[in-house]
Amino acid sequence: MALIQVKVKQVICFKVDLGKGSFYCQIMLKYIILAIGMLSLLMVGCGEEKQEKITITWWHFWTDANIKPVIQGIIKDFEAQNPGITIDLVDLTWADGHDKIAIAFSSGSGPDIVELGSDWVSEFSTTGHLCDITDRVDSIKSRYLMWGPAGWQDKIYAFPWVLGTRVLFTNTDLLTRAGYDADFIPHTWPEFYNACRKMNQIDGSTFGFGSNSAERHRLYKKFLPFLWANRGEILSSDQKSCRLNTPAAHEALEFYLRLCETGLTDTQRRLEDAFLEGRIGFIISGDWLLKRIEREKADINFNTMLIPGPDGPVSSRSFAGGEYLAINNECQHKNEALALIRHISSPSNQLRFCLANRTANPSSKVAAADTNFLSQPHFNTFIRQMQTAQMPPVHPRWVYIEAIIETAIEKALYDAKPIATILDEACREIEEILNE
Amino acid sequence: MKSVNGRLKGWLLFSPWIITFAVFWLFPLVYSFILSLTNYRLMSSDISWVGFENYIRLFSDVDFVMALRNTAIFVIGTIPFTTIIALSLAMLLNDKFRGRTFFRATYFMPTITSMVVIALIFTNLYARGGYLHLLADMIGLAPPPNGFLLSTKTALASIMAMDIWMASGYYMLLFLGGLQTIPEELYEAAKISGATRWQQFRYVTLPMLKPVMLFVVVINSIKSFQVFVEIFVMTKGGPLNSTLTAVYFVYESGLRKFDFGYASAAAYILFVIIGIISILQFRFFKTGWTA
Repeated sequence: MALIQVKVKQVICFKVDLGKGSFYCQIMLKYIILAIGMLSLLMVGCGEEKQEKITITWWHFWTDANIKPVIQGIIKDFEAQNPGITIDLVDLTWADGHDKIAIAFSSGSGPDIVELGSDWVSEFSTTGHLCDITDRVDSIKSRYLMWGPAGWQDKIYAFPWVLGTRVLFTNTDLLTRAGYDADFIPHTWPEFYNACRKMNQIDGSTFGFGSNSAERHRLYKKFLPFLWANRGEILSSDQKSCRLNTPAAHEALEFYLRLCETGLTDTQRRLEDAFLEGRIGFIISGDWLLKRIEREKADINFNTMLIPGPDGPVSSRSFAGGEYLAINNECQHKNEALALIRHISSPSNQLRFCLANRTANPSSKVAAADTNFLSQPHFNTFIRQMQTAQMPPVHPRWVYIEAIIETAIEKALYDAKPIATILDEACREIEEILNE
Repeated sequence: MKSVNGRLKGWLLFSPWIITFAVFWLFPLVYSFILSLTNYRLMSSDISWVGFENYIRLFSDVDFVMALRNTAIFVIGTIPFTTIIALSLAMLLNDKFRGRTFFRATYFMPTITSMVVIALIFTNLYARGGYLHLLADMIGLAPPPNGFLLSTKTALASIMAMDIWMASGYYMLLFLGGLQTIPEELYEAAKISGATRWQQFRYVTLPMLKPVMLFVVVINSIKSFQVFVEIFVMTKGGPLNSTLTAVYFVYESGLRKFDFGYASAAAYILFVIIGIISILQFRFFKTGWTA
């Protein structure tokens, strides 16, 4: 501005000096003022343009050729509704996505929005990297499922998007060969165990139950439904003590081991292979197995059902996981980011996503009640199982607790020690972590 | 002035290596040592100096002790076999016979195949119903009912066997190179002196192969101490930590639990062990081994 004043003064001086030529100089002055005015307008315009254009970066995991176009479509709709906002979609893979997110957050270069696995939210929220959205979601909380893993110490840091649970798959041909009707559904643990035992005795090549072996980060997910169904729990509600050495936990582990004796023990992938080959009667698996059966056109007659509880369907429990959307605490456009999350997880977009993904796991209760899901028997099973599915406790040191639980189950599977001793040891180790 | 220019040019030519060395090797090495003396956790701003506490904790950590034990078994159990098989193959393929190039190529093939691919193939071969499992059953070896990798008794040995199969081809090629540098005159002189085939091998081949042997043993030891991909793909350290190795422990501590201070201390202990073993091997080949 000072420079402009000087120039104007110079022009005025010029006018005075020239005398007769003052008319031209006045024109010149007008042009200069006009030019400055236009330049200022242009600069103001540019400033406004800069403020208007917002880019929000979203890191996600859905790179599947059937799913990504749907996500891109959802984003396009949002951009059309919000002309000043552009979304930069970045693909992650499950192999190293977690590490990339952790490194990005710790180096201060995290994305505006990030998709997180349900057991990662506490890990990132307790270190202050996620934005507290408690007040912003208070009014809509009742419309969505599974807020548990989204929070830590009464605050909410993430939005539940796509959930997932496991149900019981059965080979109906093996059921009939074992003397049951094809539509037989075991409701209680004794019914389930007997069916597994009979299927295991058909001939040397078939198995009753497909149980997971010492497979890290998976094994505990197979045991926890039995623990929860037997009204057991991992931690006390105040998270100050471990409850794995209670009689309920002891019984649950004993029952899991008895089931393992009635079948094949292997990795999840190989168990699913054996199920598709018609060699396993019962297997606990997720919606990915439905997709696999469809994709591979597997020649198998199967049914899906709730995982039996000790005393019937009322005590049926399963393991729930899910994808959560969180905003980086460093994000400059939190309102816009939240608007995008709300758009992605709206009932209609969740329905769009789930139908493309051939799954029935929306977090929106409205979407879950859609006839597309309820009319399809297998999807219906998943929707019903989700009603009683549970997630592990939210704790910043969950990775350590998970490892201890898995080691305990492995020890029991490999007859390393008596169950009571194994569970006592596990409890002691977990309590050391809780008291740190 | 000329010499200054020359020195400058020299440094300039060296600079890509110096920069790479400093940024990607020296700095991480020093920084990870500093980290090992702290309680640093990734994503946490709370960092404090703990001295050698991480190192003390490691030696009372049953998982780490188990990882060191498994790593030692892996190293001791693979190196002699790999070396002997590689040398034997090299001796065989050094003779002229029809199809020699084909055999050389096929023995070397596992080396150029991705470890992940090989590990996945072997996971299936070792599983219940897999070809190796069926074969063992057929010849009456009573394999573990759920497959080799799901038994605490056979999991590590199975991975070691796969590693020997995979690594032998590469070291065979190194030995083959070494064999071809031995002058033919030495063998002729030995023959004239009445040396048998064994004596020729013992007093001509082995001493002449000493530098290659040193290289093979040192490199193979370092690689075996750092075994990771096989474990990651095939067992993830299980069952019951029976295949947990030192590098996999570092990975779990660092990238699963984000306990970078602890993971750095574990990595440093491994670094020191590898350093000591390598020095001992150099000394042995320099003075102790008079082939």
